[in-house]
Amino acid sequence: MALAATSVKKTMPHTLFHTALYASLALCVLGLLWRSSAWFRVRVGPDARAVTLSQRLGALLRGTATALFGARVLHILGACFLDVLLLRRLFAREKPRWLGHLLILAGFTLLLLMHAFEALVTVKLFPGYESTLAPYLFLRNLFGAMVVAGIALLYFERWRRRTGLVSVRRPMAAAFAVLLGFVLATGYLLEAHKIASPQAFYRMAKRYSGTTDPGELMPLRAVWASEFGVAFDDLKEPFASNVMERGRQMHDADCAGCHAKPASAFVSYPVSRLLAPVTALLDKGRADIWLLYLHVFACFLGLATLPFTRFFHAVAVPISLLVNASAPNRAFSAAGRASRRALALDACLRCGICDAHCSVAPLARHLGNPYLLPSHKLVATGALANGRLLRSGRESDGFRVAEGAFLCTDCGRCTNDCPAGLDLEDLWQAGRGDLAAAGLPAPAQWVRALPALAWAEALEAAAGQHTATDPDASCAPLSADRRSFSRCVQCQTCTNVCPVVAQSIAADHRVDLTPQKVMNLLRLGLRDLTLGSRMVWDCATCYQCQENCPEGLRVTDIMCELRALAAHRLGAVRSWKAPS
Amino acid sequence: MKYALFLGCKIPSRLPAYELSTRAVLLRLGVTLVDLEFNCCGYPARNVSREAFVVAAARNLAIAERAGLDVLTPCTCCFGSLRHAISFLEEDPELRSRVSQALAVEGIAWSGKTEVEHLLPVLARTIGVDALGAAVRAPRAGLRVAAQYGCHALRPSNVARFDNPLAPTTFETLIRLTGATPVDWPRQLDCCGDPLHESNAPLSEHIARAKIADAKASGAEAMCTACPHCHLRFDSAQAGSPKPSIRSLLYTQLLGLAMGLDEKSLGLECPESPIRGR
Amino acid sequence: MTGERRNSFDVAVIGAGMAGMAAALFAAQRGLSCIQVGSGGGVLFASGLLDLLAVHPAAEGRQWQSPFAALAALAREQPDHPLARVDPASIRTAFETFVTALGEAGLAYAPLDERNRKVLTSIGTLKTTFGVPLSMVAGANALDALDAPNTPNTPPRCLLVDFRGLREFSARQIATTLADRWPGLCHGRIEFPGFEDVPELYAAHLARALETGETRDRTIALIRPMLGDAQLVGLPTVLGLGRCREVHAAFEAGLGVPVFEIPTMPTSVPGLRLLGALETVMSARGVRRRRLASVRALAFDANTGTATLDLDGVPGGERVSARAVVLATGRFSGRGLTADRGGVRESILGLPVHQPASREAWHQRDFLDPSGHAINRAGLRTDDAWRPLDMSGKPAWPRLFAVGSILADQDWMRSKCGSGLAIATAWAAMQQLADQLHGNTG
Ligand SMILES: Cc1cc2nc3c(=O)[nH]c(=O)nc-3n(C[C@H](O)[C@H](O)[C@H](O)COP(=O)(O)OP(=O)(O)OC[C@H]3O[C@@H](n4cnc5c(N)ncnc54)[C@H](O)[C@@H]3O)c2cc1C
Ligand code: SF4
Ligand code: SF4
Ligand code: SF4
Ligand code: SF4
Repeated sequence: MALAATSVKKTMPHTLFHTALYASLALCVLGLLWRSSAWFRVRVGPDARAVTLSQRLGALLRGTATALFGARVLHILGACFLDVLLLRRLFAREKPRWLGHLLILAGFTLLLLMHAFEALVTVKLFPGYESTLAPYLFLRNLFGAMVVAGIALLYFERWRRRTGLVSVRRPMAAAFAVLLGFVLATGYLLEAHKIASPQAFYRMAKRYSGTTDPGELMPLRAVWASEFGVAFDDLKEPFASNVMERGRQMHDADCAGCHAKPASAFVSYPVSRLLAPVTALLDKGRADIWLLYLHVFACFLGLATLPFTRFFHAVAVPISLLVNASAPNRAFSAAGRASRRALALDACLRCGICDAHCSVAPLARHLGNPYLLPSHKLVATGALANGRLLRSGRESDGFRVAEGAFLCTDCGRCTNDCPAGLDLEDLWQAGRGDLAAAGLPAPAQWVRALPALAWAEALEAAAGQHTATDPDASCAPLSADRRSFSRCVQCQTCTNVCPVVAQSIAADHRVDLTPQKVMNLLRLGLRDLTLGSRMVWDCATCYQCQENCPEGLRVTDIMCELRALAAHRLGAVRSWKAPS
Repeated sequence: MKYALFLGCKIPSRLPAYELSTRAVLLRLGVTLVDLEFNCCGYPARNVSREAFVVAAARNLAIAERAGLDVLTPCTCCFGSLRHAISFLEEDPELRSRVSQALAVEGIAWSGKTEVEHLLPVLARTIGVDALGAAVRAPRAGLRVAAQYGCHALRPSNVARFDNPLAPTTFETLIRLTGATPVDWPRQLDCCGDPLHESNAPLSEHIARAKIADAKASGAEAMCTACPHCHLRFDSAQAGSPKPSIRSLLYTQLLGLAMGLDEKSLGLECPESPIRGR
Repeated sequence: MTGERRNSFDVAVIGAGMAGMAAALFAAQRGLSCIQVGSGGGVLFASGLLDLLAVHPAAEGRQWQSPFAALAALAREQPDHPLARVDPASIRTAFETFVTALGEAGLAYAPLDERNRKVLTSIGTLKTTFGVPLSMVAGANALDALDAPNTPNTPPRCLLVDFRGLREFSARQIATTLADRWPGLCHGRIEFPGFEDVPELYAAHLARALETGETRDRTIALIRPMLGDAQLVGLPTVLGLGRCREVHAAFEAGLGVPVFEIPTMPTSVPGLRLLGALETVMSARGVRRRRLASVRALAFDANTGTATLDLDGVPGGERVSARAVVLATGRFSGRGLTADRGGVRESILGLPVHQPASREAWHQRDFLDPSGHAINRAGLRTDDAWRPLDMSGKPAWPRLFAVGSILADQDWMRSKCGSGLAIATAWAAMQQLADQLHGNTG
């Protein structure tokens, strides 16, 4: 029972503790293995599908070798310190969040080392160590408080910086956060209870002074009641000074070696004061035992589930940062890139920093499509890669994911801002490749899968079923209004000045209509025939036609409208994969 | 002279040299550039929803308006988008009220006070030919370049209000100031092909190559650009071609060199993309 | 905020048809600052041939060899006709100035003669005109022989070439139509190089393609074997857009015989060329252009002596002011005149329009009546200084001028004098305008 705190040794059956510990450790290790194996299994992007598992493992070995024995080793050490330990990327972008993270990271690590591994670490380093001595009482409270403060700061920041953008839903993460809180709470409560508990006092007294007789122990009890916060219900302050004098002598003889005054436990001690009135009750119910069980088993549960929650990022982010430091981006082979993408899916903190600065965030908000936002897009990219998106069978999800992916401007802000240093740019490109392969390419691509006439027929066939609100008024005001094209005299000028028609001379990129003919179809009331037309979709929006039309028609503006209208209306009659 | 600098999406991610050289040149010319947290100009959304496009563009305008600044952009397409959004807002009161509602969520508003300017007219008209001429120390005599305006700088002319769309002269004037010579090339006003790269890549390449060949046949040694889209399209259209290519030169780099700024501050040694090369 | 734009000018020209363009050119030529509003609507429909006066009297359809003789006859018989009110020497100078400017902008014209020329059209008819683009003049020269029966020479043997897929031009049709009168006329068809797979061709695209040397050489190589003993080659108007002079010269050099273009049906390359050249002229002379915009309202301030123009079509609107205004807004198709139940009005200011007394009198009973329709002579009447009159018969404003087809008492379509009317009246009005401005500024 090398690992456990001394109090555990005294309370818990040996085998139970060990079984639970090793089981959760095993689960954790298996989980870590399983999760990290995904970095070599999951395939994001068409190029990733072309590389084999062994190539990816090979790339890992080669990469590690060059990193460790190459010129970048100093670079990596620097990254280890600055990026991983000090969270440099987060510091550069959002200081309060950086502080929150650092508090959690530091508090948790120190708790782990000093408290959970006390027998392994603290006792060895500090020979006089006793968990109830100063400064350990204080430090344990401090580390716990750091974690709590960090979590609170992060939530506060989230609230303060709320952008009106949806954030990714993550029930597992919330559950895990609750679990973490539970561990801390039971820890504090346990400590508080032990401070206030007369039963604990008697147990200790029995062991160290051989008696449990209240009368005999009276002076010691008086001291512990007034200075150590034990809630004896049969004692009342003030105590006579000679009693106290005697008590202090007893304390110095039997207790002082292991016990400092608990007031330095700045969380547990006040809590113990609050618990004082119900301490007798708790003692009767053996709260010291079940609180300990809860505390320890909550820790085990946390350990076992950690790899399966978002907190896996605590493992994935450092690895991702180190991988980044190991070589410049362009040096990664296809196999290396494939693994990095899979790693990125795990390393994302869902911090939402990218969402807040994303160039198309206002579009996401206006279109009501969260999949334009990088953090959601990342989740969707993962869902597509592991088949969940397609299996869900919900067409609309796929369409919205595709809309998000293809409206991204590749501005690179998310990549620059990501505190985990993910190469999101590469991920988006790969994701678009996957979408196209899954029959969800950009509108300009899926539209051209059918000729304009076929689309018009599809629209006609669906005319009855689709009662979707007609978007004309806001989406296509010009093409819906005869006045904007009725003046066309079919003079052909628009076609004459159109570079797309002029250059569309080879069969592989030929357009089907001319701008003039598109305008004529509108005049004839055959707008549906234009929606799937290549001319409409291959218009370069160069505005030559609009600039030169002798009748002042806004030809290009109409072309743009027709595309938006087509994306909407053809999108409604399109079934996934049908036109691919 | 003070402007909010609108870089758009392409320049920071793909053509950092344009940002560097724009800042360097304008700094030397005494123009203050303010960085605001802009978003996408809205262009990509035009194919999805007119209203979403205008909302995105108007948000940028409203942010500049809140800061009391006019917008200066070195990107021709962003310029066109933002100006177009203004024209849609002006002509359609219903759209205007819906957009206002969307902006009100963030506590900002568009009232039309902010002007949107492209870099070239600001250089040629606001700063002025005389001031520019005075700043030139090392004219690049003898260099022959093909001036590529970019569609959305010129057309539709009522929206752009940039120059005569059929016979523009602004860019040529600016090029002459650097000592270089603008060539006369028939396909000058044609599209560079970039916007249809996604929908029809072969056609896009074909259009770009036709322009490049035309510039070359007309005696140009370089394409002189003032838009990241044209610039990168020309470069990538030549990437795979077997024939010797002519390079694209950003006007701000040409001007910066003529003004005696050093190559580094003009981004002449920048990697293609800061992110890719990071 | 910043970005101040210049908004006051010496002259504002409203309209960008032939008349507006000519007025803006002449104003700039005189050193006046000028803004011009309007799209080049009518210009796109032009053939590039500049008519001066081909037919008089319109009712008889009599064609004239010499436009200046026709002008003299017009002055005698219809002294109210706007063209009759400009002296022939000025008309000559105006035309010279106009075509010189076009030549500088890349659209070269053959030197102006004293006579009208005959030009072959794409439907095989002959059109009488005055100013002929250099690329078309070889055809006119050949037709001189055809038209003069006394000359010993028969017209030269000529090959007409067209392109598969170019629907707007058929060499065979022209040759068939003219077979009787021009025995040496033959025709041939080629595939346009590089466009072999394209079902439908457009002249402007071919014109642009011919500006690249390679396509040009391949086209010449396809035509050369068809030459036979032809002394002349005719082609549709596809020999370049902005570079037409260079392309035309290359064809003549490559084929070793004179080459001429035949104007294609509007709208096509001739209109685009003319528009491009005119806009280049405007740009080169610093004329500020507002294309795709129109004047919504025009107001005059008697105190400051300036006119204010409110523009539509510019986002947010725009207001400019000018010391003098030229109205060149054309007739119905140009939208300078508007017809409603109350009759015909001038569109911007509602100036009184000289027009038939009643709607019934607009048209002759026979639509094809050779004497034309009264409505086609409707328009603005002006004083001697080209200033349109208000209700009281006085100039509406001291520095408001009207030029081009908006003027009353002419039927340019039937008289074949469209460009002549535009150029001549613009010249004459600009002279008056300059006098007025100088008079005012002392
Ligand atoms: C089919 C066709 C064939 C032709 N062929 C020949 C030919 O072979 N030879 C020849 O010499 N000429 C030809 N012409 C051209 C002819 O010379 C001119 O069209 C004619 O002289 C009228 O010119 P205009 O400038 O007076 O009016 P228009 O050409 O009608 O121009 C009117 C201008 O005013 C503008 N305008 C109107 N209202 C406003 C407003 N409120 N604000 C701003 N701008 C306004 C319009 O946009 C337009 O630019 C042809 C014209 C046509 C239509
Ligand atoms: S690259 Fe795409 S997802 Fe990332 S910030 Fe830019 S627009 Fe948003
Ligand atoms: S991708 Fe990066 S920035 Fe975005 S939520 Fe994940 S960790 Fe945060
Ligand atoms: S240029 Fe204008 S009027 Fe002519 S065909 Fe095209 S849309 Fe119609
Ligand atoms: S805007 Fe589109 S249709 Fe119009 S000329 Fe350009 S490519 Fe052709």
